[in-house]
Amino acid sequence: MKEKLGKLVENLDYTLLSAVVILCFYGLLVLYSSTRSGLGSIPEDPFFYVKRQFLWMVVGFIGLAILVFIDYHHFVKYSSLLYFLTVFLLIIVMFFGRTTYGARRWLSLGPFDFQPSEFAKVALIIFLADFLAKNKLKLDNFLYFLWPFAYTGVLMFLVFIQPDLGTSLVYLAILIILLFVVGVKLKYLATVFLIALSSFPILWFFLLKEYQKRRIILFLNPQLDPLGGGYNIIQSKIAIGSGGFLGKGLLGGLQSQLKFLPAQHTDFIFSVVGEELGFVGAILLLGLYTVVLWRGIKIASEARDLLGALLATGAVSFLFFHIMVNMGMAMGVLPATGLPLPFLSYGGSFMVSNLLVIGILLNVEVHKIKW
Amino acid sequence: MKESSTVPEEVKQRINWLLIFIIVSFCFLAINLWYLQVIKGEEFKERAVKNCIRSLVEEAPRGHIYDRKGEVLVTNRPVVVVSIIPEEVENLEELSKRLGGIIDLPEEVIREKVEKHSAEPFKPVEILEDCPLALTIEIEERKTELKGVVLEVKPRRNYLNQELAAHSLGYVGEIDQEELQKLGNPQLQGGDIVGKAGLEKYYDSFLRGKKGQKEVEVDALGREVATLFSQKPVAGNDLLLTMDKDLQTYAENLLEGKRGSIILSHPYSGEILVLANKPSFDPNWFTEEISYADWEKISLDPDYPLINRAVQSIYSPGSTFKIVTALAALEEGVTDSQRKIYCSGNFKLADQVFTCWKRGGHGNLNLIGALAHSCNVYFYTLGKELGVQKMGRYMDKLGLGEKVGIDLPAEATGVIPSPEWKQREFKEIWFPGDDVNLSIGQGYLLLTPLQMHSIICAVATAGDIYRPHLVKEIISPEGEVFEKTEPEISKKVNISANTFQLIQKGLRATILEGTGWQANTKELSLAGKTGTAQNPQGESHAWFVGFAPLEKPEVCITVFVENGGEGGEVAAPLAREMLEKYFNLPEPE
Repeated sequence: MKEKLGKLVENLDYTLLSAVVILCFYGLLVLYSSTRSGLGSIPEDPFFYVKRQFLWMVVGFIGLAILVFIDYHHFVKYSSLLYFLTVFLLIIVMFFGRTTYGARRWLSLGPFDFQPSEFAKVALIIFLADFLAKNKLKLDNFLYFLWPFAYTGVLMFLVFIQPDLGTSLVYLAILIILLFVVGVKLKYLATVFLIALSSFPILWFFLLKEYQKRRIILFLNPQLDPLGGGYNIIQSKIAIGSGGFLGKGLLGGLQSQLKFLPAQHTDFIFSVVGEELGFVGAILLLGLYTVVLWRGIKIASEARDLLGALLATGAVSFLFFHIMVNMGMAMGVLPATGLPLPFLSYGGSFMVSNLLVIGILLNVEVHKIKW
Repeated sequence: MKESSTVPEEVKQRINWLLIFIIVSFCFLAINLWYLQVIKGEEFKERAVKNCIRSLVEEAPRGHIYDRKGEVLVTNRPVVVVSIIPEEVENLEELSKRLGGIIDLPEEVIREKVEKHSAEPFKPVEILEDCPLALTIEIEERKTELKGVVLEVKPRRNYLNQELAAHSLGYVGEIDQEELQKLGNPQLQGGDIVGKAGLEKYYDSFLRGKKGQKEVEVDALGREVATLFSQKPVAGNDLLLTMDKDLQTYAENLLEGKRGSIILSHPYSGEILVLANKPSFDPNWFTEEISYADWEKISLDPDYPLINRAVQSIYSPGSTFKIVTALAALEEGVTDSQRKIYCSGNFKLADQVFTCWKRGGHGNLNLIGALAHSCNVYFYTLGKELGVQKMGRYMDKLGLGEKVGIDLPAEATGVIPSPEWKQREFKEIWFPGDDVNLSIGQGYLLLTPLQMHSIICAVATAGDIYRPHLVKEIISPEGEVFEKTEPEISKKVNISANTFQLIQKGLRATILEGTGWQANTKELSLAGKTGTAQNPQGESHAWFVGFAPLEKPEVCITVFVENGGEGGEVAAPLAREMLEKYFNLPEPE
């Protein structure tokens, strides 16, 4: 047992792990810069947010360590249980959740808040990977192919009504990418896409909340309401653009230090990076993400079996979708869906779920060999 | 130990496609970053700075104005001004609607104001001055949705006694283009408040003070987080007036319902204690934004309430001018204390007949009697014998035709007729009849009440005309005397003491036994002269000029009532009441 543990540690993908650790500290630095002067009602301790974030990071790394060493073939046995537990938690949130900014997303656990929809991402990756690996052949049947949509749809619906359009889209992205990778017929995917597109009017007129519609409209034309919703996007673009090549230096961002940026420690933290650390800092960040995703893809294609490949792909797609949507939003090239940036945005549950999927990646990586 | 992977090739291929998709996506992000930060970087940098640096001008409080006893007449009160900084506005239409809803102003009005000042986008455009407290609080609370709106506390001129001494104090207003060029002070900019009339204008450079400037960094909510540069405003200097508020109030009450002026001054220093004019106006009207309709109402009022009659309006002096004729005649030897002239009520000159106001005639009168009873015939005779040239010489000596030199703007100099003047104005020669008219202060001659006052001062002091002034001291904001007005003889009248003495006797007789008897008070040895000036505008103007006490003159007084009627009936009693107030005499039974 001890020998096996030693071998596992020896075989860990240190490139991936280093990239993640650097990202975490990079994140703490930027978080400090954007929150040290306080955000409204928060106490005056300039390290208030940094300390809390660090604490969650530690929790995340412990979770990651545990996850790495349990062969994924063992824990996928509980994937159904995990799935139903997630559904249960999301229903609990519906009734007992704490509401902030008009969204009911959090469960209070003593002094900390816990966001089930974040853990749902990890659970969904495991559940779908297991389900798809087991039923790969049946997916040739179009009706069967729709099953995973049903499973995912339940989660999407529960999160959508919180309301949290962004997160429900993350679930969908994970599903689509996994279906693509597992090898379903492309015309099936195309069919689903067409159905989605044709049902868009129904979504628009009956399901989307006013603020969600506004976001889409404002993405198309932020100048429409520069003081309201479009304000975020404009200010964020000004922040990033004004950073120039080298940036204004940490703590030196006019926009971020003066709080022109909305949610500058969560959804718009990339704007702080852009403003204070410039093109160089932003590209460095993008580079670190590239390393993480590239190692993830490598792990997926070198996995021992389909299950491992799908688990790794799920992890990659989760991180990729967040990075893409978040940065795209901050730069004003994608609609504002309010998704946080992995390893950087402030938020405990999100931080832990990021590190857990890294745990999944490392797990698949060290177990590509049967010990 | 190593087992080969069982991942299907097809899956591996799809994973590679995913990798390509990720790489393409990241390249897309990187290109966008390059575009935003490197290509457009400078542009965004500018926008970021504009986003958060605000340059504000802090108005300097104007100096206060006090009466001679130190009572405050003019001060400043803080008002909240709601302004919009055009540069910070992102959607003017929306903002106008929101702000208009709070301060109850049509949104188009707000929009127009801001658009008019779009050339200077960083300068706050005043939307509402003197914003009520409740609205100020509401604006403060809704700051986030009112980006670009700033609240500034500014000093506003406050005339504590409304109409009191309004013509002397004047008023302030926004500088206009002409003043901007004329004053040529680089400190002054459009929108600045400057003195527009009265002392406010005359002493503007002292009262104005120095504006302060502040550059502040503001956060997204418009809260000031840091001061980058700050220059505190310097308050203007205070004015301590020679004017006495109680006497001024009393004088204005005497004039209530009339059109006219009262001037009361110390002849040996030139200090003016009373400079009252009616009708009057409230200078506070001008500190608020005056509407065009209101402005029209004031400026087109047929009674001209804005005019400082004592200083800016010219009238026939009538019989009060006989003092000047008498001075000239005595000095030129045309008459003396003994010469008597017979008044039959008529004076013939060629085929013209000039009448005395007393139809039956005064009979035989010497100069003192002629002054006392204001006999026209006596002075017609002197005028005819003197001629305009000689009379003109004495008008010159008294300084008529020049400004008296009071510390107020726009002083009028009167109309001093002469043959050259008549030729120039009317292309006509000077007739002997014109001499006769001039001798009793009728005809072409027009003087301001202040000029008449200057003449009576010269008589009181026997030749020394002190420059009349309203400001005693200019006091710095720290309370030190910055400048003190020393008594200054502006005109030394070269006329013999005997002549003045004789005139003084005549003026004393006027009060005791002549036309000025209604000005008489037992306790006071007053000397004076009445005047009833006929004029083409209607009823005669009532005049009274005088000084007291005779032996050692302490005050000179001029009372003028436009179209008031007989000088002895209307002006003289007012002079008596004024002097009784000044000398603290008991009201006669």
